[in-house]
Amino acid sequence: MAKAFMAFPELRNPFVAKEIHPEGSATVLYQGKTITLSEKGDGDGLLINPEYLRQINGFEIKPEGACFKDLCIPLNDELLIEQAGRQWFNLAAFADLLDQPYVADVAAGVWSFGEIPAKRANMMVDAMAPDLELVDRQGEVVRLADLKGKKALIVTWSSW
Amino acid sequence: MPVWQRIYEEINDPDFVLICAAQDTGGEAAAGPIFDAAKPTFIQVIDEDHLVSSAFNFVNVPSAAWIDEDGRIVRIDEGTYAKVHELGVGDQAISFGTNVYEPALKDWMANGAQSRYVQPAATVTGNIRKLSADQQRADAAFCLGNLFRRCGIGAKADQYWKMAADLNPDSVNFIRQNLTLSEEGSAGEQFRAMREEFERTGRDYYRPMDIDN
Repeated sequence: MAKAFMAFPELRNPFVAKEIHPEGSATVLYQGKTITLSEKGDGDGLLINPEYLRQINGFEIKPEGACFKDLCIPLNDELLIEQAGRQWFNLAAFADLLDQPYVADVAAGVWSFGEIPAKRANMMVDAMAPDLELVDRQGEVVRLADLKGKKALIVTWSSW
Repeated sequence: MPVWQRIYEEINDPDFVLICAAQDTGGEAAAGPIFDAAKPTFIQVIDEDHLVSSAFNFVNVPSAAWIDEDGRIVRIDEGTYAKVHELGVGDQAISFGTNVYEPALKDWMANGAQSRYVQPAATVTGNIRKLSADQQRADAAFCLGNLFRRCGIGAKADQYWKMAADLNPDSVNFIRQNLTLSEEGSAGEQFRAMREEFERTGRDYYRPMDIDN
């Protein structure tokens, strides 16, 4: 028998956005997640509150830089920007530094980011599976990293 | 899909995880009933943004990766058909797929790293597609189009889907997903023309399946 949530397919993937950001903010897309920013700084690039960085791409601001696992990117005044006593992180400049592709619809305030090459270096060099987080039809998060100790077959298909 | 469920049941190993990910912007409405009909007990994902294809640089379905207990990919990017499929009758009859993949998969289950179907890292990395900067950017454009599609802003959705297809013309996924919106659908004249173009120019959308019988 189908579970109750099957009647509400729109609830299955909590990361999938159903609407563009509210007025005056920005929307960031990355790896299937939609992050709505309630504020952004003025100027070139995409100036975000640094506290959002981890939620967006897993990097954290530390004394040694913007870090993800063993990878740390030193911060400079193009990445961390002071405006009227507030600090902003330029996500677009960070992407440029990492060779991370992105496409922005500035009029709509939506920035869509592609894969971060440095996060996939182990796949390209040593055939290690990439960090990948999916949401299954039951709303459970499936992380490839959590499958260690098991054999996994991941198959794509389509209805089309 | 029922074939994958049968294979999953036959393997019947708690240390085997099967994830089937529908690359489908049509979401639950498009892919859900096909999943449900198979009464699946494996992990089912409806991957509207084609995240799995992005993660592994796949350009077509069905494609797959075998990932071992240490998180290492040991096979990748093959036309992952669970059997030979036959469609139509008479002059219209076509068949596609392969019967060699299932025994190879079961051999891996039985023999692990000793299976002759496990490939060394150098073979796997050689089979992973190397995408240009434009091709990598295509995925971001595709996801942007998907957001606009979900929000009902069709003109912008079309604009960014076209951008994605232009940036990565090797992506059969983008071409056929886009054709789902056309009158002829994803397997009509434009699809046949695309296949002929791929053949004529020597482009592949799966790596050769290096599995003997």
